[in-house]
Amino acid sequence: MAASHPDQTRPGQAGRDQNRRRDHRTALVAAVVVIQAVAAAFFVADALDDVAQDGLSAHVLIEGLIAFALVAGVVLGGWHMRTMLAEARRREEALAVASGALAEHIGTRFRDWGLTAAESDVALFALKGCDVAEIARLRGAATGTVRAQLSQVYAKAGVASQAGLVSLFIEDLL
Amino acid sequence: MESQSVTPRRWDPIVKLTHWGVVTAVIANAIFTEEGSGWHIWVGYGLAGLLALRLLWGLIGPAEARFSAFPPSPARALAHLGEIRRGEVVRHRSHNPLGALMAYAIWGTLLVIVGSGIAMSGPPPADPAAVQGEAGEGREGQRPEPDEEREEGRELSANLPGRIVNLIMPPARAEAAEGHEGGGGAGEGDELFEEVHEIAVNLLYLLIALHIAGVIFETRRSGHEIVGAMIPGGNRRA
Repeated sequence: MAASHPDQTRPGQAGRDQNRRRDHRTALVAAVVVIQAVAAAFFVADALDDVAQDGLSAHVLIEGLIAFALVAGVVLGGWHMRTMLAEARRREEALAVASGALAEHIGTRFRDWGLTAAESDVALFALKGCDVAEIARLRGAATGTVRAQLSQVYAKAGVASQAGLVSLFIEDLL
Repeated sequence: MESQSVTPRRWDPIVKLTHWGVVTAVIANAIFTEEGSGWHIWVGYGLAGLLALRLLWGLIGPAEARFSAFPPSPARALAHLGEIRRGEVVRHRSHNPLGALMAYAIWGTLLVIVGSGIAMSGPPPADPAAVQGEAGEGREGQRPEPDEEREEGRELSANLPGRIVNLIMPPARAEAAEGHEGGGGAGEGDELFEEVHEIAVNLLYLLIALHIAGVIFETRRSGHEIVGAMIPGGNRRA
């Protein structure tokens, strides 16, 4: 199912979509906080004006309460934004560390198996889910060459198929 | 896998929204609204809200938006000038030291503009379309009749909180105009505020020009995506 739509199955796509959704959500909260802040400026000025006109009446007390609630809403909304942003950043960093560690681990394994540079490249594409034709196109090589390189990789790794190769690394992760 | 050790700077949405909101407000009040008109006052109050939020964000926002990330330090600004002369490019997580000074200068100027504006205008008019600017001096509509009674009531009653408020914020423009024609006492203060307002606005235009020049210069010098950090969806990791 993947082979016909290589663009949709590119690794990392799902993570990026999720990041974008999170970005949109924080942008929405930010927009509400900004509107609240502008409204608070108007309302506080208006409440102060009413104090100037009438002194401290019950009406002014209610207005003061609303003004306070607006300002508190801005502060709390800002605080919420900050935790959202910090969490998003932490997740991004954790993901970068994890993907960096995995890349390092894959490199070590390839060296242990004694893969050549070309075989390592082919093996990496195989791990990312590309089939022989795609790898050949990406590397600008003949399919026959790629097939031969892949079977070398499988032999050195001690597996029989692409699925076997992938499962070696999945096992390490679990 | 590409190295992700250097994360491009991206300002958070609050910084972006307040930045572009202030830009919009400044352009609106510089070009489109009539000086002293109801709309001018409204836009000014909107700007005040945005500025207040950005300053609050400098206390509670994420690390790179906080004041502690870019203290106003002439010493560091000089050191940064040295870097520029020697052609060194250092990555700054927040504003670079010169940019920091610019941010504080612009905020300070905006505070003076907002303060002197409120000192002249009083509270935002209920109907901004009803308050005309300096060209049409006859302002009708803005709280017409009850003001007379209130005016007298205020002098008689010991409205202490009211008087304290009036120290920072004068009554609305319509009332001020009446006082103007009658007593004329408030006129001198108003003229002073007007002068301060105008000088600060001209200073702001100068700072904006320097700010834009600084962004262009630093982008060409260091190649950092300074503009991308401030636009929506900019500097996203591909």
